Amino acid sequence: MTATPFFSVRNLHLSFADRAHKPLFGPAPRIEVLKGLDLDIGEGRITGIVGESGSGKSTLGRVLVRLLDPDSGNVMFKGQDIAGLDEEALRPLRRDLQMIFQDPMSSLNPRHKVWRIIAQPMKRYGLGGTREQATEALVRVGLPAEFGDRFPHQLSGGQRQRVGIARAIAVGPSFILADEIVSGLDVSSQAHVLMLLSKLAKEMGLTVAFISHDLSVIRHLCDDVIVLDHGVIVDNGPVEQVFDDPQSDVTRKLLAAIPLPEMDDTWFER
Amino acid sequence: MTRTVLDIMNLTVNLPNRTRILRDVSLSLEPGEVRALVGESGAGKSMIGKAVLGILPPKVRISEGEILLDNEHLGAMTPVTRRNTVARMSALIPQDPLTALNPLRKIGPQIVDPLRRIHGWSADKARARALELLDRVHIRAPERVMASYPHELSGGMRQRILIAAAFAPSPRLIVADEPTTALDVTVQKEILKLIRELQRETGTAVLFVTHDMGVVAKISQKVTVLFAGKVMEDAPTEQVFSGAAHPYTRALINATPSSADPSRSFTPVPAQLVADLHREIAQDDHLYMTVTS
Repeated sequence: MTATPFFSVRNLHLSFADRAHKPLFGPAPRIEVLKGLDLDIGEGRITGIVGESGSGKSTLGRVLVRLLDPDSGNVMFKGQDIAGLDEEALRPLRRDLQMIFQDPMSSLNPRHKVWRIIAQPMKRYGLGGTREQATEALVRVGLPAEFGDRFPHQLSGGQRQRVGIARAIAVGPSFILADEIVSGLDVSSQAHVLMLLSKLAKEMGLTVAFISHDLSVIRHLCDDVIVLDHGVIVDNGPVEQVFDDPQSDVTRKLLAAIPLPEMDDTWFER
Repeated sequence: MTRTVLDIMNLTVNLPNRTRILRDVSLSLEPGEVRALVGESGAGKSMIGKAVLGILPPKVRISEGEILLDNEHLGAMTPVTRRNTVARMSALIPQDPLTALNPLRKIGPQIVDPLRRIHGWSADKARARALELLDRVHIRAPERVMASYPHELSGGMRQRILIAAAFAPSPRLIVADEPTTALDVTVQKEILKLIRELQRETGTAVLFVTHDMGVVAKISQKVTVLFAGKVMEDAPTEQVFSGAAHPYTRALINATPSSADPSRSFTPVPAQLVADLHREIAQDDHLYMTVTS
């Protein structure tokens, strides 16, 4: 007997209309972004999704939390196919599928104080949304309770990203999609945010999909990794396996591009 | 005798309330050298570049110290002379290529105009040099790109165009202000490679601002490590990576991913160390306020 995987994606296709090449009459041609993906995400695991710009990694993430509709294929979430569900049917699942965005400055309402930003989704899902609950979430992500009274622009990048995490975990999801959440931060803030995410995932039993273009971040944080290239999976497995024995040139190229903090005259030639 | 391209001596930069953003910073750059300026957000690393280029934010003032560009005292010049000297001898590669380019103008004039206006080149010479440099940064069909608007190009392409524009007049000094922070790792590597190649060809000295010790190791020969506007360490890059003298430098290296010891990478800078450094600086500040008031 095998356990049902947390997410099980089969033959996933997705395309966008290419409006730049739309003829005067008739529909615009389609650009295929995801070309028949098969993948599983294990419960309680942190899975990295990596690739260059345009590889389809963010698109895949957005299909998992159903911000995007796939053209065809199955997206089984805890045994239920959510690929074709309409908004009405998705509503009960929304709380369970949370997302943290790349740029916290544009995803946090600049006119709201931090505690309201965190409380709002709780209110929406009928989970209360009191000041106390918001404070509790703030403390959970390692920010002082007084920060509830601040506005997003009064925080540093790393602190804003913690607020984004607090908002996502406050509603008690089982899945979090983190899309490039450390790419705008300096290395020390990166380290703090990564440590926090991995600690919370463990404590709360969260399943996390972590999108990044940086394999060194993935190696540090994730249990499994999926490498995408032009909408196709080119590597997939536990991190140690993929990093020690990459199956594709794309993965090898991404690995070679990491600037390690050591002197190496041959780096540019590789 | 070698002429230093840039000599910053005891530079202190203040806010109007005398809060110091840079504290007694000294560093120098030889011709053809790349010096990395490294630190966390808010350490003042970009501020040094801005002070040199004369583009400090409003109300931020140089209160003490000297900046010599090619052995000329910038502080002793009239504002106009200073602006012209800086424009003629230096260039900036900014972090965000989209905001640095005028969205309403085509790429061509944005590269060609400064060459004509500042360096007094003829239209033909400036255009030929622009095309040469675009080709040099691996832009296919440079003629077509010159006739494009910034929004028609990808982020990596825009950054390559700004590199071409910066190197076109073969300036003595380039300030590269986190030029790869917004880019993918694979694109970052291309950009670093281009900067290194062009810098070697033209003999331009580069002040390279970054927060990433990995990038420091690949691009620079010298490093200045900053914390809260104060220099923690100034050493050859090789020496920093074989055994950094300052604990803060070591902490920054440990915060960077490393292959040799994955368990030690991404270690945040220890809170105790940060507190100690802040305490030291606070004592400094107290003294400074007493002396200058």
